[in-house]
Amino acid sequence: MPNKSSPVRYTALAQAFHWVIAALIVTQFALAWTADDLPLGLHKLALLARHKSFGMTVLMLAILRLLWRFANPPPQLPPGMTPLERNLARATHVAFYVLLFAMPLTGWMMSSAKNYSVSWFGLFTWPNLIGQSDAAFALLKSTHDYLSYALLAIVILHVIAALKHHFWNKDDVLVRMLPFTKSEKRP
Amino acid sequence: MNHASWMSRSFLATALMAAAGHAATGYSADPATSRLDFAGVQAGAEFKGTFHKFTAAIDFAPDALATSKFDVSIDLNSTDTKDNDRDKTMRGPDVFDVGHFPTAHYVARSFTKTTGGYIATGSLTLHGVTKDVPVSFQFVSSGAGAKLDGTATLKRLDFGVGQGDWKSTEWIADTVKVSFSLALKAAP
Repeated sequence: MPNKSSPVRYTALAQAFHWVIAALIVTQFALAWTADDLPLGLHKLALLARHKSFGMTVLMLAILRLLWRFANPPPQLPPGMTPLERNLARATHVAFYVLLFAMPLTGWMMSSAKNYSVSWFGLFTWPNLIGQSDAAFALLKSTHDYLSYALLAIVILHVIAALKHHFWNKDDVLVRMLPFTKSEKRP
Repeated sequence: MNHASWMSRSFLATALMAAAGHAATGYSADPATSRLDFAGVQAGAEFKGTFHKFTAAIDFAPDALATSKFDVSIDLNSTDTKDNDRDKTMRGPDVFDVGHFPTAHYVARSFTKTTGGYIATGSLTLHGVTKDVPVSFQFVSSGAGAKLDGTATLKRLDFGVGQGDWKSTEWIADTVKVSFSLALKAAP
């Protein structure tokens, strides 16, 4: 019987946070890259409006996810990982959480600096975080862009690492985050 | 029909009263301290803008509504929403089309008293289209000048403001709110 202090698997809610946010991040990249290629116009406005609504959704989910994580510590890393691997895994996860907040916040500030208030799917409008400023907008836009490259890089690292654990190390690191699966009991 | 004839008689009566001694006072808005703003809704979020350049010739007196008149000209090139991209789009051919229609013009000659102030019914010419737009306002005279604050709501598509993609109301609302605060100085 797994006890509460060392669970074998992520909780169902932790899995839901992971996969919903993952799907939203993929959608965010698709929307942003499509919008980047469009000229100023209604189509671009519409895509970016969706991008902002999804981004604010990520921010809200990230807050809930972090609270859930504090209350429900994740399963431990499998035995047999080297200290370097452990540190790399931890650093990647810390970076994910930092970016889950930094991406929406820099996006929200960008919109504020350009004086385009952020609506959440037309249901309500978020307050502007900063005043209108061309200089702040330019700085925030490049920050948002660079952070997106960093996010893309660690997403790739994360996926490769998960697959490596599953197929190379043959441990349960991937499976314990997959819904509708069962993890083997630890020896 | 009856209503209209009652209206015209009442106007006539007011006009006769005005002719008998009450004349509206002529004012003009002080450009430095007067504001003419608008607010639209874009992708669900309100955005605010202002017109930096406009002239307002206001002939008004609470006891001479029949001879009162508003005549306001707005330079649409002075549209400012604190974002260059949006301002350029708004001035451009698909929205205000300032190349063809550089000014908007509002003329009101019909005024009624309400509990909280007055309603002017006038015609707005915008983007080559003229339509009636009621404006509710408050008038407070102070010394030789006066303060005129008010609001109006109009539908941009009534005036063809928004062509092509911008006709859609899914991302840009049809309704636009206009508000103004004019510092009136007695006309010379």
